[in-house]
This record gives sequence, C-alpha cells and structure tokens, in this order.
Amino acid sequence: MARDVLEIRHLDKSYPGVHALQDFSLEIEEGEIHCLLGQNGAGKSTLVKMLSGIELPDSGEIYLNGEKLELKNPIDAQNMGIFTIHQELSLIPELSIAENIFIDKLPKNRFHVIDWKMIDAKAMELLEWLGFKMDVKTQVKNLSMAQKASIELAKALHHDAKVILLDEPTAALPAPEVKKFFQILQNMSSKGISFIFISHRLDEALALCKKATVLRDGKRVGTFDIEGKDEKFLVKAMIGQDLKSSIINSVLEGKAVQLGNGGTDEVVLSAKGLSNGVHVDDISFDLHKGEILGITGLVGSGQNDLALMLFDGKTLDKGEVSIFGKKVSIKRPKDAIKHSLGLLPEERKSQGLVLGMSVMHNSSLASLRLLSKGSLINRVLEGKSVLNLAQKVHLKGADNLSQPVRSLSGGNQQKVVLTKWLLSKCKILIFSEPTRGIDMGAKEEIYGLIKNFIDDGGSVIIITSEISEAIMCDRVLVMNHGRIAGEVLHKDIKTEDSILNLF
Amino acid sequence: MEFNSLLKKSKDSLKNLLTNFLVVVFAAVIVIGAIASPYFLTKRNFGNILQFSSIISVMAVGQFFVVVTGGIDLSVGSIAAFATVVSAVLLRQGTNWVLVFFFALLLSAIWGLLNGILVTKAKIAPFVATLATQSIVRGCAYLVQSGSLIGIFNEKFIWFFSGDIGFTQTPVVLFLVVMVIAQCFMKYSTFGRSLYAIGGNREAARLSGIPVNSSLLKVYAINGLLSGLGGLVMAAQLTQGSSLLAKGYESDTIAAVVVGGASLAGGTGSPVGAVIGGLIMYMITNIMNLLTIPSEPQMVVKGLVIILAVIAIGDGVPRTKKRKKLSTKKTDN
Repeated sequence: MARDVLEIRHLDKSYPGVHALQDFSLEIEEGEIHCLLGQNGAGKSTLVKMLSGIELPDSGEIYLNGEKLELKNPIDAQNMGIFTIHQELSLIPELSIAENIFIDKLPKNRFHVIDWKMIDAKAMELLEWLGFKMDVKTQVKNLSMAQKASIELAKALHHDAKVILLDEPTAALPAPEVKKFFQILQNMSSKGISFIFISHRLDEALALCKKATVLRDGKRVGTFDIEGKDEKFLVKAMIGQDLKSSIINSVLEGKAVQLGNGGTDEVVLSAKGLSNGVHVDDISFDLHKGEILGITGLVGSGQNDLALMLFDGKTLDKGEVSIFGKKVSIKRPKDAIKHSLGLLPEERKSQGLVLGMSVMHNSSLASLRLLSKGSLINRVLEGKSVLNLAQKVHLKGADNLSQPVRSLSGGNQQKVVLTKWLLSKCKILIFSEPTRGIDMGAKEEIYGLIKNFIDDGGSVIIITSEISEAIMCDRVLVMNHGRIAGEVLHKDIKTEDSILNLF
Repeated sequence: MEFNSLLKKSKDSLKNLLTNFLVVVFAAVIVIGAIASPYFLTKRNFGNILQFSSIISVMAVGQFFVVVTGGIDLSVGSIAAFATVVSAVLLRQGTNWVLVFFFALLLSAIWGLLNGILVTKAKIAPFVATLATQSIVRGCAYLVQSGSLIGIFNEKFIWFFSGDIGFTQTPVVLFLVVMVIAQCFMKYSTFGRSLYAIGGNREAARLSGIPVNSSLLKVYAINGLLSGLGGLVMAAQLTQGSSLLAKGYESDTIAAVVVGGASLAGGTGSPVGAVIGGLIMYMITNIMNLLTIPSEPQMVVKGLVIILAVIAIGDGVPRTKKRKKLSTKKTDN
C-alpha cells in the first residue's frame, strides 16, 4: 500500500450566492493518477484554485507529506511541490523550450551572467527523463500541442513537483497525441509523482486512472475504483439522476442515435470545389433541407476553416456556393446572413459573443435591421422578440435579459448565440464544436434545440471533432488533410470505428 | 402588485443613480466648490464654466465615439486649430459665414475620414495613425495660415458661436444639442449599438454581420467633424484663427471621456458621461482658479483627479478581482 502524499481535509469555500465547495476531503497516494469528475460548476475548478494557491479556502486544511500547507499564492504552491497545468498552457511562444522551463529563475554563472550552457543541458536532461529528445533551443510556438503539454510537465519536474494538477490537459490535443501524452504521465507516476487529472472525457478517465472522485454541487459524491465501472456509471454519479431515454445515455450504450430525421431531397446549400490554398482543398458537398450534416476529422484537418470560409468568404480562394439553388457570392459575414446562414463559431467567447454586453443586446446583434425602423431600433419589438426566443431555448436567466453574457455558464452562453441566429430568421445553421466546454446536462439541451430547429424547417451543418457527436448526424463527411476522405450515412454507422477508420 | 413593482422599479433606479459614481463625483465636486469659494455657485461663475467647457464638451463627445470602438484619436486638437485657421482665412476674404461654417466642418470631417482610412484600410493602430495626422494637420494649418494669427471680425459668425441669448450663450446650447443627439444615437440607433458591439468584441461583431470598417470610417469622420465644430467655437470666442490653438486638447478630451466612465478598451461609456467628465475636470480647474492656486500645482491636482475618478468609477481597471466580485454581486441581486 502506497502512502498518501496529499491529504485534503474538510475544505470549504463560498462565493457570494454559491457554496462552491462543501466539506471536501480527499487523499492522493504516491504515484497515483487520480481522476476528478464533475459537471461544470460542480466545484472542480474551485478545488484547483485552492490547491494551486490562487484562492484561499474559507476553512479546511491541506497536507503534503504530513505537513500542513498555507498556500497564499501560486508561487507558494509551486515551491511546496504542487504544480498546476492549466487548460490554457502558460508557455511563452516566442521563447525557447529551455527558457520556458527555467523562466521564473534563470540560473547565473559566477560572472552573474545567465548560464545558457547549464540551462540547455539541464533542460535536455529533464526532457530525456520524460522520455523524448528535442532541440531545447526550439521556440515553443513551433511545437505541437502535445509537445507543449510535455514542456509543462518538464517545468513541473524542474520545480520538483510531488503532485501535479492537470486541468483538462487533453482538451486541445488531437487523439493520437493524447495516447503519447498519457504514456508520459504513466511513466512519471511509476516514478512516484502523483497526479490529479480533470477531464470532461470519460473514456480518458477510464483509460488512464485507477480511481476517480466525483463531485456534484460542491460536494464529494464518492470515490470509486475505476476497474469494472463503465462510463454510464460515472455519468450517473456526475449528473445524479437516471439517464434513461436521454440522448447521452443511448450514446453511452453504444447505440448510434439519430438526432434528425434524414431530411428531404431538396438541396438548400451546395458547395463546389472550395479551396483556401492551405487547409481546405477542393471540398464539394450538398446540404439538404431538414438534414443534419456532420463534418468531422482530427483537429486541424480543415473542418473549422471550412466553417469560417463558408460564412466569412474572406479566405475563400476558389470554388462556388449556391444557396436555395442560387449561386451566391459571400464576401463577408453580412452577405452570408443575407442568404439566411448563421454560424455558431468554435470560439464562443472570442467569436460568438460580446461578453460585456447584455443578453438582450447580444441576441439582437445579427438582426438589428429586422428590429429597426429607419436607423432607430424598435426597443419594444426587440425586448419582446428576444424574451420570446430566450424562453423557447430555456435560457436560464431569461427573466433578466439585461445581465451581461459574461455572467452566464457555457451552456447558456451557447443558447444566447443560438437565440441570436433564431432571431435573424436564418434557415441554415453551421454549428462549430457546438458542445465544447459545455457540461452533460446542457449538452442534452443543445442537442434538443438543434432538433427543434430542424423540426421548424431548418437545415444544419455540425462541425465537430467529437466522434460521439458526429455519429448522431444524418450523414457524416470525414475530412483529412483538407480533403473529404469519406462519407458515411447514418444507417451505415455501426460503431464509432466506422468513422474512425476514415481518419 | 402593480404598485409594488412600480415602487421596486423607482427604488432600483434611485439605487442605480446613487451607485453611479460619476453622478456622485460630479455632485461632490460641486459641494467642494461651494465650500471652497462663495463665488463658485453664483450664476455668473456657472455661466462661465458652461461657456468655457463647451469646446471640450463638444470635442469629448467626438472623442467618445472613437474610444467606444476601442480606438483613440490624438489629432483632435490639430483639426480644431485647422478649422480656426480655415474659417479665419475665408472670413478675411469676405466669404459668407454660413458657407465658411459648412466648409470648415467639411474639411474637418475629411481629416477625420483620413484617420479612419489609415485605421481601417492601411490597418495602422489608431494611436500611431492619429499621432501622424496630429502633426500633418497642424502643419497644414501653419501652411494655410502663412503668417501670424488672423483676426476674425465677422459679427454674425462670432454671435452664432459665442453670442449671448439671455439666459445662456450659444455654445452652451450647441454642446447640449450635440450631446443629446449623440446620446440618443448611442442608445436608440442601430449605429450606436454597432459601436458598442465593435468596441466590446470586434470579431464577434463582424461575425454577426456588423459592418465594422464602414462604421469605423464614420466614427473617425464624426470625430473630425465635432473637433472642427469645437474649433469654430474657439475661433469665435477668441476672435482669431491660429495654428497654435487647441494644443493638448487630445489629452483633455481623452481625460474627459475616461473620467466620464468609458474604458479605453472600448465598449462602454456614454456621450453624456463624457460631457460630465469634461465638466468635472473644468470645474476643478475653476475652483482652483477661484482659490488663486498657481497653474503648476493645478496640473498635479488635475492628474490626480484623473487617477482618482477612474478608480472610483472603476472603468480604468481592466478586470481585477474586485470588479469581478462586484459584477457577480450585481447579478445575484
């Protein structure tokens, strides 16, 4: 039996209006990879903030190797041996690998000049310990996501970390790189370093960890041995209710649920030979009325460029697009909107919303012309229309449309973006990674809303790198290196592999 | 039920007013002034304050339009000076003053448009683009003037921009009209809404179909126009045109806008706020003048006031923990 490295005892933290973490205790063994599961708002990030010294707990203690810790700031935590790797990596792209590892204190030689030779040699050593060879003088911006994540690990090693917190480290990693990254983690854990692993992806938790602790509404639901458990069990623990008849449940059972109803024969959007000279190469497809068309592929296969190209037109090099049988020329988003297209972009916060603006004003942003007489906005009409739609999409906080979008959860923010396009009366919606960063419960709702849109006569393109999402579509196009590698109809989807094989 | 909700509403609006630091600061300055000098609250002194701050007020409204989009305009003082010179030259030649009025405003708007083109088409950062035009426009003002300052003797022109109309003076009416129109534009028009969106998140605004570049062109042109208008008032008040006028007005207008609650990051604030910000700054100067404080310490105080006002209003700080907490509290209520 390995001994406990980290002990968390009765941690408690409240924010105004929320009891974010209640009487939370947890023990982490030496060399263990411990998974922390929970929906958004369950308290995971609050716990991370306590452990990494970003915020102080209201009460409770943290012990490392039997010693009580007072973590007043992130530097304290690092010095004590708790290193946090955040979802947004904190590397500086313009600096080299070695410089990034030693960034907080560059060692100097006896002339008080930075000792580059030693830095490079030590960095090399650390990387070799992790199990790979690289030129440590390479600028970090030239590395792949997995390599960057590994550099963070090297940084943690350099800080002599005992426990490493991984906050959704794989969110930006393409599938093959995840495997490699996990190997490094396992290698490190066998050498005695402990990990707390936070992820939305249950399959990863099952593959990597032996134990998982589930959080719900700020409380610890339980700690489970993962062996013998399946995803369904964990999801149930996370959501706290039975999933029967839900979409997510069917997906977990391995059934390929069909979100739409297949659509009609009428073509509403037709793309021919789209290229942008870089990531998208000679793409042609038709979208039918009432259809949900999935476009998937590994991250970076060009599917998200395709979305922006269709909607923005700025990067379109070659090719033509017809909408409702008419050839259209889309030079800017305004043109696309005129042709009743709408885009729910991949980067919701930086592309989809004006975070400081109210829910109401965000919702009406694409429909200002529809809502105004001359150049003046009809504010009564605006209020009524937005409220009507906000209730239709079950927006939490529909009673307070003047609150800034910033204060909403990810799922509700996505609903605001959807409201924006519903208000503009668009007929074709392009969803780019529609449920990224959205928790299970809200995911289900978003899928329901996509279905409603189809039922109301719309057509949908879903661009996604989640295969479980792709197999819900009526038809799936798989992209690979900017080209369409294959097309699968829903009825031909047996398992996820039928799509994966085309990657 | 009805009554209760009405009561709640009026309570809320009272609370909003009191939590609106700008109004509190504004009132505080008036109180301080009244205590500091018995002369401060007299009708004549207040008339003076309004009259002298009318130029800055008009120009602050213009600067606000640029700032709300996340930009900045350093050329406003130069454009104002150019407008004084052009109007003085034309009036000397005997041109009809109404024609002079329109022509000077047209040229000012064109200078603004040039700023807009540099920002949107040449994609130069607003700070740098307008730093360049600041120099160019003032240089052109020198060239047009070609000699020492030019006096203005057209009485109609002087009356229109600086005349007495009994209870107040024309420039005061002028800046109030400009302010009210701008405020309505920002609040009720699609254009105003677009500007808030562009300043809040340019990419999201663009992807929502907002015409970003043409809006920015308009914004810089409007600022040019209002700077020119400020210049015309100045020309009439001083009865001269000179390329040396309105130096440092870019900092005064930016200070007014920022003290008035707009963030230089864009997306927040209002034209009325900018005007109140300008008035606060001018009243403080006025109080110090009444107390016969020499101009050097005045500069120090003015600087401190900017810092204090911005901290109090809370919009100069990008987004610290404190502000986050404040905003979560607000939504909880």
